[in-house]
Amino acid sequence: MQRLLAIAWLTWKAAFRFRLFIVVAVLLLASVVALPILIKDDGTARGFTQILLTYTLSTITALLGLSTLWLACGTLARDIEDCQIQVVAVKPIARWQIWLGKWLGIMSLNAALLFISGASVYALLQWRAGRLPADEQKVLRNEVLVSRGSAKIPTMEKEIEAQTEEVLQDRIKKRPVENAYLPEVKKQIREQVKADLQVVPPGYSRQWEIELGPAHRYLRDQPLFLRVKFNSAEKSPSGTFDGVFGAGVPRKTQLWRSDMLSLAPDTFHEIEITPNCFDENGVLTLTFGNPNTTALLFPLEDGVEVLYREGGFGLNFVRGLTIIFCWMGVLAALGLAAASFLSFTVAAFFSMGVLAMVLCSGTLANAVSEGTIGGYNAETGSKPGTAADTVIIPAFKAVLKVINLAKDFSPVDSLSTGRTISWGTLGVAFGRIILLLAGIIALFGIAVFTRRELATAQGTQ
Amino acid sequence: MNSRRLYKTSLLLLAALLLTGSGILQRSLNRDRDEFGLTRVQPLENAPPVLAFTTVALGGFRGLISNTLWIRANELQDEDKFFEMAQLADWITKLEPHFVQVWLVQAWNMAYNISVKFKDYSDRWRWVERGISLLRDDGLRYNPNETLIYRELGWFFQHKMGQNLDDGNMYYKQQWANEMAKIFDKRDPNLDELIHPETPEQKERARLLREQYKMDPQFMKEVNQTYGPLEWRLPEAHAVYWAALGLKVAKENPSKIKPDDLITLRRVIYQSMQLSFHRGRLVTNPLAERFEFGPNLDIVQKVSDAYEQAAEEDVKNRDHILRAHRNFLRDAVYFLYEYNRLPEAASWYKYLGEKYPDKNLMEGLTNSTPSHVTLDQYAVYRVIEDVNEGMDQKRVQAIIEGMLANAYQSLALGEDERAAGFRLLAEKVRTWYESNTKTRFESIPIPPLKDIQRDVLTRLLDPQQGLPPSYRAAIRAKLPELGPEPAPDTSTNAPAAVTNAAPKLSNR
Repeated sequence: MQRLLAIAWLTWKAAFRFRLFIVVAVLLLASVVALPILIKDDGTARGFTQILLTYTLSTITALLGLSTLWLACGTLARDIEDCQIQVVAVKPIARWQIWLGKWLGIMSLNAALLFISGASVYALLQWRAGRLPADEQKVLRNEVLVSRGSAKIPTMEKEIEAQTEEVLQDRIKKRPVENAYLPEVKKQIREQVKADLQVVPPGYSRQWEIELGPAHRYLRDQPLFLRVKFNSAEKSPSGTFDGVFGAGVPRKTQLWRSDMLSLAPDTFHEIEITPNCFDENGVLTLTFGNPNTTALLFPLEDGVEVLYREGGFGLNFVRGLTIIFCWMGVLAALGLAAASFLSFTVAAFFSMGVLAMVLCSGTLANAVSEGTIGGYNAETGSKPGTAADTVIIPAFKAVLKVINLAKDFSPVDSLSTGRTISWGTLGVAFGRIILLLAGIIALFGIAVFTRRELATAQGTQ
Repeated sequence: MNSRRLYKTSLLLLAALLLTGSGILQRSLNRDRDEFGLTRVQPLENAPPVLAFTTVALGGFRGLISNTLWIRANELQDEDKFFEMAQLADWITKLEPHFVQVWLVQAWNMAYNISVKFKDYSDRWRWVERGISLLRDDGLRYNPNETLIYRELGWFFQHKMGQNLDDGNMYYKQQWANEMAKIFDKRDPNLDELIHPETPEQKERARLLREQYKMDPQFMKEVNQTYGPLEWRLPEAHAVYWAALGLKVAKENPSKIKPDDLITLRRVIYQSMQLSFHRGRLVTNPLAERFEFGPNLDIVQKVSDAYEQAAEEDVKNRDHILRAHRNFLRDAVYFLYEYNRLPEAASWYKYLGEKYPDKNLMEGLTNSTPSHVTLDQYAVYRVIEDVNEGMDQKRVQAIIEGMLANAYQSLALGEDERAAGFRLLAEKVRTWYESNTKTRFESIPIPPLKDIQRDVLTRLLDPQQGLPPSYRAAIRAKLPELGPEPAPDTSTNAPAAVTNAAPKLSNR
């Protein structure tokens, strides 16, 4: 351990020698101070806080990511090129310890920088929130500077599957379906069955029961937030539809009813529900009345959700920063792995290239969903299907799977919308990003570095 | 060493001289570029240094960056994340400051698409205002000669705020009225005070008008004289202002204007004037502490002129415009009648007959041309048409009761003319019913107007289920014969008694 710490300490010294630590720290602090002055928000305290969180955390991630890659490439590749590594390698220390020591050094630097910038963002948010009027503070503390858990309506997959199968068999008995068309017929029947559970016809109401789970024990006397989204069968001239929500069961729980709301389709709306509308088992009964002349459809997946306060913002913020820290771990491993067998410039170029590919993962995902790298006709859904696609699309899929190991966690998004990043999520993130992704890259880097003949490196000397 | 220093100094001086020279020449070069059509893009005017630098330094890459930002904006909008939209719209438009469609699309997106995504009207209003401010404060600043931006700005006022398609339209109007009330505190403001402000208070109002709302009081005065008197606290007046300003700019740059652009600007003017006529008068309701809207009957002539001018200039749509003009005249006659301005109603009815002599006034009734229908018959028909009902006794009585209730409420709000108009119409509707049903054996008579009036008043003055106390007090103040409201009888649950004497509403 002492050897690892010694190498880590050397990395710290190198970071100070390059003035990297000071420069990055100043840049991070400057971004925290300057961004609130430069960016234009939507005019609400909530919007300002969301944009502040998004922009500052994104800038911190970008700055730290770039500096991590640069330092990781520089600290190993330049040591090799300058032949300084030979002085270290002849000491009683294993190659893997050198590699891991450098990684630990970079990560401890990142931890320090992330702590400084994160603390600045947190202090800035609290300071600004404290200066707001009481009602805006309340909105902020309830919707953004909070850690909110959620409960959704059951997706009823089993019931849908069973009913689909039943209707399909009935249909086949009455009128046989060719095998080739069977999947399509089944898909259509499934959608019909699903629609019955999602649609609120005009002039009717629908009821949902949402189980709040163990959380209901500490949710007494606390407001809940209904998060809803619906699709409409027709377009309304005003762009909105009327609707009334209700919660609770008569003579059993507190009752709540909204005013007549003017709601846009295909959009998430958050509506506050008065406390104590759920029963002793933690079941919240919700109703929606549709006074329009068209049917409205609440998707089972995300149409109806209840958000509730699960904890404070501080700890959630720390967990969010920890996920960002995990991302830095992968970048540090990537930079070190590249520097293990490449010169500094090539390693830096290679690492940046990989980073660019990660940033372009949207394009990769698009190509995968279209099934081709070009010539897809969005209107007809047709694709030419070139020979290159047979190789490239599976390759893209594999790359996406690897990238998504890290990208599936979006702490900036969760923090700016006041969603809980649970300890479980953090654990999974750590496992996938650090242990799996960074671990594999590290193993590769260590293996290459161990086998490398250091004396053959032709540096700038 | 000294000669080297001298050489360097002279080079610096030369550089400074050349820079100054190019700075002086730049203006005339830009003018010549514009004049000879050597560039598609006009030189950037009024831009802050950062924007001027960005547009030059980024060159062709500006488009790429703008596209990337646009894609991000679309993605965020799809995910219902709107808090970044203002910033992204700002960057996108600043990167393409001369691309008019970029301004129009971004502003429209904020005012129309994003605003309705919010359930609270206050949130919606913020986005509507942001769309307006993007065009007015920035779009016009960099593109002062683009008529499309004036047209769009006028349209936001006319359609988004003025019309009732958005459920939040009344909130928008109320908020706009509140904002404008800081500058125009009365219906016919003294615009000279804002053109040549003298007192600190006038100076502050003029500053607000010029700096925040980017409006020129001198031009407002011209607009008011041409199309008004307009109620500047309402959005329609501003729609007329921006469209008129667009026309003025178009006249100054005739070579750059397409005829269709002018037609759309004129359309905004006459349509907004028509809206102004319908509800272009603010009625302060001190009892409910809010504004209400009434028709602006003083601009009938100017609205009619605007229609006729538009019909003359827009040959392609002449028939549509004339049809709209005829409908406007029908409304004008009815509204004037409703407000008891009978001589004006008669005069416009006559004009309607002269202008469109062979057009039926009543839907589905042949031979109902102006020469065959009297003004009274037409007014009564409009009432019946409004409720889309025929000879049903209950329905007609309900209409009469509604009119009398309106008459008393108008009286409470100080709208005496309107009250008298409603009373007159109630009388006419009753007379019409009687004359149309007297030959029918099975018809049920409607009670005398005096009785209906008494019942309506009893209901309105009922302390339990009637109007709010402030309204009741206002009605009693206007009709002293009613006396003060009796003290509530605490011994029984019976409602307070109301006098049986039907108060008289003047038909002034």
